[in-house]
Formats: sequence, structure tokens, C-alpha cells
Amino acid sequence: MEIEIGTGLDRAVILIYFALVMGFGAYFGKYSKTTSDYFFGGRRFSWWLITISIVATGIGSHSFVKYSTKAYQYGFSSTMTYMNDWFFMPLFMFGWLPIIYYSRVRSIPEYFEKRFNKTARLLATAMTLLYMIGYIAIQLLTLATALYKIYNIPLMLTVIIIAVATTIYMHFGGQTSVIFTDLFQGLILLFAGLLLFFLGLEYLGDGVFSTGIKNFWSFLTPDQKLPLAHFNHPPNFNFVGIFWQDGIAGSIGFLFLNQGLIMRFMAAKSVNEGRKAAAFNVLFVLPISAIVVSNAGWIGRAIANGMPGILPEGLQPNDVFVAVTNIVSSPGVFGFIIAALCAALMSTADTLVNASSAIVVNDIYRPLIKENQSEKKQLEIARVASIIVKLIAILLVPFFNSFESIYEAHGWFHSTFTPPLVVAVFLGIFWKRFTTPAVIATFTVGAFLMILGQFNHELISPFSHGIELRPGKGYSYIGALYNIVVCASVGVFVSLMTKPPKRKNLEGLTVFDVKKLKEIFKGSPINEKKGEKVKVNFKIDENNLDSIRFSEKDMEIMKAKQGDLVYLCDNRAWLGGLKSIHSVYGRPHQQEGIVFISSKDQESGLFEIDRKLYAEKEM
Amino acid sequence: MIEFARTWLPYIYLYSVGGIAFLIGIYIITKSKSLNIDSNHHKRWLYVLIFGFLYYAGIHGSLILLAMRG
Repeated sequence: MEIEIGTGLDRAVILIYFALVMGFGAYFGKYSKTTSDYFFGGRRFSWWLITISIVATGIGSHSFVKYSTKAYQYGFSSTMTYMNDWFFMPLFMFGWLPIIYYSRVRSIPEYFEKRFNKTARLLATAMTLLYMIGYIAIQLLTLATALYKIYNIPLMLTVIIIAVATTIYMHFGGQTSVIFTDLFQGLILLFAGLLLFFLGLEYLGDGVFSTGIKNFWSFLTPDQKLPLAHFNHPPNFNFVGIFWQDGIAGSIGFLFLNQGLIMRFMAAKSVNEGRKAAAFNVLFVLPISAIVVSNAGWIGRAIANGMPGILPEGLQPNDVFVAVTNIVSSPGVFGFIIAALCAALMSTADTLVNASSAIVVNDIYRPLIKENQSEKKQLEIARVASIIVKLIAILLVPFFNSFESIYEAHGWFHSTFTPPLVVAVFLGIFWKRFTTPAVIATFTVGAFLMILGQFNHELISPFSHGIELRPGKGYSYIGALYNIVVCASVGVFVSLMTKPPKRKNLEGLTVFDVKKLKEIFKGSPINEKKGEKVKVNFKIDENNLDSIRFSEKDMEIMKAKQGDLVYLCDNRAWLGGLKSIHSVYGRPHQQEGIVFISSKDQESGLFEIDRKLYAEKEM
Repeated sequence: MIEFARTWLPYIYLYSVGGIAFLIGIYIITKSKSLNIDSNHHKRWLYVLIFGFLYYAGIHGSLILLAMRG
């Protein structure tokens, strides 16, 4: 179908948006001074800032196209994958999150070395990088597919232009830029998606919103109103297959293995803030996101059911997002909504690129090439790595373009790359008996059995739950169940056949040691007394470079003792922790309301003279 | 009449298999004391976790009922 796409005003809006985001990201580059800042944003942000920036990471540009397509075809069940993440939240919030935060690992592969050995780390590095670079390629492809029609630039050239644009602010800013541009883009995404829904409902009601809601509900069939798909039919969109591919492999993959997401949580000022961000995101933001990415398809379906003749006959489901946006919005607004699509891509891609460069530096360059390198050099390597990662992703775009649809490419990706990692990380964290030979066998023998399943569909049949086998294509999503079972079986079998790991080698690396982890992190016994926050002014004192000093009275209010950990932050809550530091309580003094810090602390925390700070005891 | 495989079967499967994963998770984190139910702060988190499970089960269940009525 030929769709008349966009006006000059729309094109201008999209260009302005790109420029704005690049400027925004480059501005926040000044807050990245060390590799810790570049990758983790200095572990200082509030939960709400982390939450909104996660929105933008979770909604990729593929989401709008992919979910609108399924929403148009199947109705509300397009939301399934956004609303099945809660089952693993206990293990994430109280198992994995404290482990990665307190053990100070910089990447998921680093955890594999600590828990197992270098070989396990290398295998995990290779698989994680492959997964993330492929994901970036899918993102680039999706947005380029939409934009190249608007600007009439060849697809691959559009891919390159988008890659360059995202590189500019990433290059200078790192994680702090990513978090702040994602905060901005997350808000744009939510607003644009909900605006589209509002405009669609108004359109259905002929300009009257309340009538639009009534018509929307009555135009959809009962089948299209159901929130879950048919149990096992059709083969390309059924509940049970998608449950195992997305609800199990995808959820664990997203929560436990997505280096980008993990880095976002590690940028939180504390584990508790990370938990709040995770809970708020899954409980409230994900259901809203499901509406944001699906509603164009629902509106399209309601129009097709109740107002025949408006959407062109033979409309391809993949074109629904653009077609509906075109119909319900006016010039300029269309450009704004497409700009939101750009926001989705840029924010997902920047997170993944930043995460990939973190893995290159932390898991390839440092351990294999040069252990002790200056911060400046490591930052340079990280920036070069982010460019190389994008180049490889660009080269992969034609491969993903050969899939039938983005949905299939994405589904294949999840069910193929996540199961070995999911099994390895899960058994590693929650089963002390899981051994090093077992994790290596999970990656190698497990992968071999998975490949075998790709070519011998009868191996997957016992897991099919009655899903029809597609001639020439095999099983789709339910392959994830087979992959998980074979990887887990290999892992468990080899563990039971090999010598259990020594207890002391596991210290602080499984969920059973989380309580000890806090002590390991602090380096001394934990002070659990609950104190209150205090507001203070700071003064410079160069005599104590490793600690900061409060008055005796302020320390009493905070219930803090010398040697405890403290968080010092600009008192303006809306900054979300951007201007803050972590430090250690030094010897107390007698000047109430004053904290003595070094000029290095002032520079690192970006504290302004005469601005009030607040302090609280961490542990 | 919408068939059972389209309405309650996926719901039962989702909250049974997902529910087992959820309960195993709660068991592991309480047994390991990572979630210490003797602490009031952690007890609140336990309530949030249980609320989350019921919240999603409630949303999905209500939407199925609404669709069937429609």
C-alpha cells in the first residue's frame, strides 16, 4: 500500500527533535568524569529518575510497529508481553539486584568470572555482546524503515545517519547523558503514545471524546477485547508459546541479563532506590507502556470494524502504525509522533551501545589486553568501542531485514540467545551446587542441543502444547521452552556429576549470602540503627581526602558512627541525585549544620557554594 | 460463546506456572534472609510483592470478564 507520508512541517519537527536530543545529551556529558560516571552515572540517582529512563529503554522503536501490528490483528492480547514480568520480581529485587550492586561487578560477564572462572566469563561475554549488537541492529532497521519513506533517503543510508546521530551524544556523555536524554525521551514517548490514543478516540467519536470511547468499545469484538491470546493457536501468535518465549525467557533475560537495564539500576543511589524503581516500573509504567505501543493498532482495528472504507483495503498490518497516525493526527502532530518513534530508538540504542562498550572495556580490554590503564585511556576505549559496536550493528541490518517481520526477528532473537544465559545466571545465583564445568557445558552442549532442535523439529514436539508445526519454518516461540529445558538439564546433570564448588569461593555470589554482601561492600560491620536526614552547608577542608566530617550532633541525628557510609546530595529533589557523592563519615567536629568535604568531593558532587545539601546514613 | 482455550485456560496457565515461579522466588528470598520478614521495612516489601501478583491477576481477570460480558 502506498501511504502519503508526512508534510514539510513533519520533516522539520523530526529534525528539530534530533537536534534537541543531541544537544541535551552532549550537555550532560560534562557530568561524566570517570569510567564509573560514564558507565554507571556515579551510583547516585533517585528511583523516579531511574524509572522514567527505564521507560525509554523498555520501549524500543520496534515496539510501536511490532505491537501495533499485533494489536490490529488480535486486539488487547497485544499487551501480554508487557504484563507478565511480575513473577520474577522477588528474585530480582531481593536476589540479583543486591548481588550486582554490592559485589561491585561492572558487567554480567564479570559476575560469571567471580562465580565460576575466566572461560565462563569469556563465553558469557561473547553471548551477551552478540545479543546486544543484534538488538541494536533491529532497532536501527525499524526506525530506518519508517524514516526512509518520509525523507526518501535509501534505507541503509538512513541507518547510518541515525547511528551517527546517536553516537554524537553518547560519545561525549556516557551513562549520565543516557539517563537524562532517556528521561526526556521517556516523557515524550509516553505523551506521544497517549496523545495518539486520545486523537484516535476523538476520531472514532467524530470529535467527541466520550462518544469515541463508547464506539471504540462497541466496534471491537469480544475476542479482540480479551487480554490473553488463544492458548495454542495460531502458530505465529499464541499464548503458551509467547509465555515461554517472553514471560519466562524474555522476562528473566530483560531483568537479569540486559546489561543496559542492570547498569541503570546500578546508577541508583542505593539498592532500595533500585527496588522502588523496579517495582514502580513493572506495576504502573509497563501497563501504560502497553497502551502507548499498542493503541494505534486497536484504533485501526476499531476503524476497520466500525467505519469501513476509511482504511485502505488490503492494508498490511505492518503499516497500521503509520496509517492510523496519518489519519487521526494533523500536520506537525504526525511529525511529533514519528519523533517519538525516534525517541524510542535512540533511547534503546544508546542504552545498549553504552552497555556494549562497558562490556568491551570491562570484559575484553581490561582482563585480556591491559589491566591497569588510566581512566582517560579507558574512556577513550569505551568511546571507540561504542562506534565499533554501531558499525557491526549496521552490517547486521540486512540480515534482520531478511526476516518476514520485525516481530519474528525479535522472537527468534529472544528464544535463541537468552536461554543458555538465563539458565546459567539463574542456577549460578540460586543454586550453590551449580559448578564451573556445568556452566561451560550449559553454554556449549546446551547451545549444540538448541541448534539440533532448530533442525529437528520432532525434538521440540513434546513441548509444543498442541501448537501447530509450520511447514518449512518449524515451531516459533515455544522453541524457547525446549531451549530452556535442554540447557537446564545439561547444567543440572553436569553439576551432579562434578565436584561441588568450595563454600568460600561462593561467598557473596549467591542469594544465600546477600546479608553478608552488605558487610563485604562496607568493609566493616553494618550499623542498622535508623537515623534521620540532616540538612547542612559545606566547607572545604583538604585534610581529610577519604572521608567527610559532620558535627557530633548531626551524626547523632543520623545515628551514624565514624567509618559508616554516607550519601551527601544537593537538597533540590528535582535534580534526582545528579549532584551528589557517596563517602565515609570521618572524625566528628563541633560546628552544627556544617560538613567538611574536600575540593575533589565538591567537584565530583558538582556542589554549588551556598546551596544546601542533605546527608543520610547509608549503612 | 468464546471458547475456554481463549478465555480462562491461558489465565489459569499464566497464574499457575507464573505463580509457582513467584512462590519459589518468595521461598528462596525469605529462606536466605535476603528478605527478612522480621524487619518492618522488608515486611512492607513482601506486601508489595504479593500486591503486585494479585494486581496483575485482577487486571487480567477483570478484562476477561468484561470481554465475555461484551
